[in-house]
Amino acid sequence: MKKTLSIGLPLALVLLSVGFYQAIYVAPTEATMGQIQRIFYYHFPSAIMALLFPYINFIASLVFLATRNSNPPRAQAADALALASAEMTLIFCSIGLATGMLWARPVWGIWWTWDERLTSFLMLWLIYVSYLLLRRFTAGGQTQTLAAVLSIFAAIDVPIVYMSIRWWRTQHPSPVIGGGANSGLDPSMWPAVWWNLAGWFVWGVMLVTLRYQLERKRQRAQQESVLQALAAN
Amino acid sequence: MHKNSVGIRVAVAAVVIVGTILYLAVTGVRANKSYYVTIQELQSMGNRAYTRHLRVAGNVEPGSIQRDGAHAQFVLVEQGRKLEVKYTGSDPPPDTFKDNAQALAVGMYGRDGVFHATQVQAKCASKYAPAKPGEKPRQTASMAQPR
Repeated sequence: MKKTLSIGLPLALVLLSVGFYQAIYVAPTEATMGQIQRIFYYHFPSAIMALLFPYINFIASLVFLATRNSNPPRAQAADALALASAEMTLIFCSIGLATGMLWARPVWGIWWTWDERLTSFLMLWLIYVSYLLLRRFTAGGQTQTLAAVLSIFAAIDVPIVYMSIRWWRTQHPSPVIGGGANSGLDPSMWPAVWWNLAGWFVWGVMLVTLRYQLERKRQRAQQESVLQALAAN
Repeated sequence: MHKNSVGIRVAVAAVVIVGTILYLAVTGVRANKSYYVTIQELQSMGNRAYTRHLRVAGNVEPGSIQRDGAHAQFVLVEQGRKLEVKYTGSDPPPDTFKDNAQALAVGMYGRDGVFHATQVQAKCASKYAPAKPGEKPRQTASMAQPR
């Protein structure tokens, strides 16, 4: 864990500091939205990470489901990764929702609306809230299996979130990046996007790694206490 | 319990759940076709247009905005079609609501041919450009109320 911190933390802080400088001081003020558009440099990377990390959770959950009987040690490691990435997804999802609402109020005139993009993204947030509640409050030996099944629903929701602004008419703008002819960023805005994408990615990977290591320690401690209890009998 | 019967049960449950989600999604999208209608769709809806609470999209015709306190009257344009909108909500429209901006009016279409909106929302473009030099960048943070 010390190694993760000593490499990951400085790297994340440097990237995020450059990202902050680029987003707030270097990137030009946007023509129609003004200063508030700078929130894009935080809204977009968080939202992208909120669509990326569910797949770490999904793959880890599949590994857990496939190996839970045949290879329990591997299944436990996969489950620790699934838990760590689920928590990280919820953080990114929350930042995406919060920055989106703060941005919507001044430029759309509303905090929230039930269009396909906002609704499907809220669903993703709710799925991970219920995932973590499920892990914490269910008793018995089925918790990990049930959680792994729930992660499949998140994996189904992610493509819907991504495609929602392409499939349907939404309040949310159609894709700015990778959109059609009448979309895109001015070249002077790209550095702020790249630095923040890199920064939030490294930050996320570092936290997932730390959380994974912590969960492994907890698993080992629990195993030991079970063994000790058995030996005492 | 046999391993096989568990597998079949899980498969049946998965098919039922995924099938229900797909059914709801498809019928939901068909019934309430979309988040907003275009002016052309509104005008070709016939009688149904007058009885439903709708959201209409269009561009604000330059120079058409007449503000009256928090209320406003303006014209939405979309591919040559025009729609007169009377906005009588309690909140002033957002700062981004101005000439040529994409806007959404939420309310009822009246038989007088005027759309009576209780909410006006701006819709942002997907193209971000820097403010031109010399042009004073807008201060969105103020959220000033037009008086």
